Amino acid sequence: MGEGQQENTKSFDPFEPFREMRDAYLDSMAKVMVETVNTDGYAQANGAMLDSYLTASAPFREALEKWMVQTLQQLSLPSRQEVAALAERFTNMEMRLDDVDAKLDQIARLIVEARPAAASRPAEPAKSAAPSKSPDLAGSKASAHAKRGIAAAQKSTRRQSGRKSER
Amino acid sequence: MAQAAVFQDQLASMEERLRTVNRLMTTKAAIAQTPKQLVWTLNKAKLYRYIPVLPPEKRHPIPLLLIFALMNRPYVLDLRPSHSFVEFMVSQGYDVYLLDWGVPGFEDRHMKFDDYTLEYIPRAIRKVKALSGVQELSMLGWCIGAILTTIYAALRPDDGLRNLLLLTAPLDFSNRQGLTFARWTDEKYFDVEKVLAAFGNMPGEMIDYGAKALKPVENYITNYCRLWDNLDNPMVVEAWHAMNTWVTDNIPLAGGAFRQLIVDLYRNDRLMKGEMMIRGQRVDLRRLRANLLTVIAEGDHITPPCQSEAVLSKVGSTDKEIFHVAGGHIGIMAGSNARKLTWPHIDGWLGPRSQ
Repeated sequence: MGEGQQENTKSFDPFEPFREMRDAYLDSMAKVMVETVNTDGYAQANGAMLDSYLTASAPFREALEKWMVQTLQQLSLPSRQEVAALAERFTNMEMRLDDVDAKLDQIARLIVEARPAAASRPAEPAKSAAPSKSPDLAGSKASAHAKRGIAAAQKSTRRQSGRKSER
Repeated sequence: MAQAAVFQDQLASMEERLRTVNRLMTTKAAIAQTPKQLVWTLNKAKLYRYIPVLPPEKRHPIPLLLIFALMNRPYVLDLRPSHSFVEFMVSQGYDVYLLDWGVPGFEDRHMKFDDYTLEYIPRAIRKVKALSGVQELSMLGWCIGAILTTIYAALRPDDGLRNLLLLTAPLDFSNRQGLTFARWTDEKYFDVEKVLAAFGNMPGEMIDYGAKALKPVENYITNYCRLWDNLDNPMVVEAWHAMNTWVTDNIPLAGGAFRQLIVDLYRNDRLMKGEMMIRGQRVDLRRLRANLLTVIAEGDHITPPCQSEAVLSKVGSTDKEIFHVAGGHIGIMAGSNARKLTWPHIDGWLGPRSQ
């Protein structure tokens, strides 16, 4: 009997009606709020709040920025703008390096591919083995240089294999 | 006596619940655990390759490159073990790559869609091709990642893109009345130049506020009430923890890209009108010829379905499909139904096209 009583007490949740009421209230509130935020009035209020914050903080921000630039200059330290400009240059260099890296991979692959073909046809002129179309980036300045590099590498491979066959 | 014991039990239970809430709010869940290898970097961008689990003969030869939005972390695609899209796709035999854009700094404030689509994506693709040893690939773009992949696919149709999957893709901005973001960012109320002059990049906190304010009651109240009601259920608690870790991990959006998003897309709908210019080139969607699957979340409040439907009639692809799935913007890929609905459909569509 005691156990039964305990089970009944445990299964009864005094918060259940409150929870149901809460969920119903939140559901209706959610619908109202979704409609509210999708109005011009809300957009205007939001915009005005952001605008006033930006307008109010602008003089302080500008003054702080000026002071910071002057201080850094006096300490012979680079400013934020200068560091940012340097970072942009690094990214550009990284891109060039990435292109060079890809070209080198391609040259290495072409050399490996060209070896057996050149060994089997030692007397063939260089014209017959034009470099295959490379998957370069369109508009990459490095591509023309790299293509010349590939052709030169292939020629040198052929010359080497030609010499081997002569021997 | 019995009532006193029940009261004590309830007190202990309350203490345990509060301890759990404290843990969930103050710690980060273990996320993104599928084994991967960093294969390429450029500036803050990183390209990861996931370690295959199937032998080579059982794998699909065409690799899959995942491109997520710019203003959120991409690990929502690999949220937690056995609830990870990446893990699922790797187990289905795909050679999966993930492009993580990283966190833009002040120095990246000028970065635009032009840079992402013509400098970063082509280089990442070049690396994917080199590592996979094939000249074709599939790409999956989600949210703003879908904008980037669409632009890329239209600008570089001969770059080997065989399959394109767009998830909740915000491409069509013509229905301005139906887009809350379009209303908020209207030039009458929102000065994009003033914001960018102040911050350089669009701060992650402001983006987070914008996303949450679309459904304020759900995001600020109901979300926590549901957690409180389910604190005794470890499955719900762990799922909530992982999702909360992702949701609160906000990153800024590069200033140049934010300006394009607002001015070119939200205000002028230039992509669908065929007026979008990327480095002097017009983005003509008819040039997009890859096989196309568009996944639309029916309950999406961030990218309503009307934003993703019209693209099918604009592209030049002959093999194209639209897939509507019940769920929200993130829920369709990371929610409890993703494993049953969205992922198998994506695999079913992509598998035969990856041979």
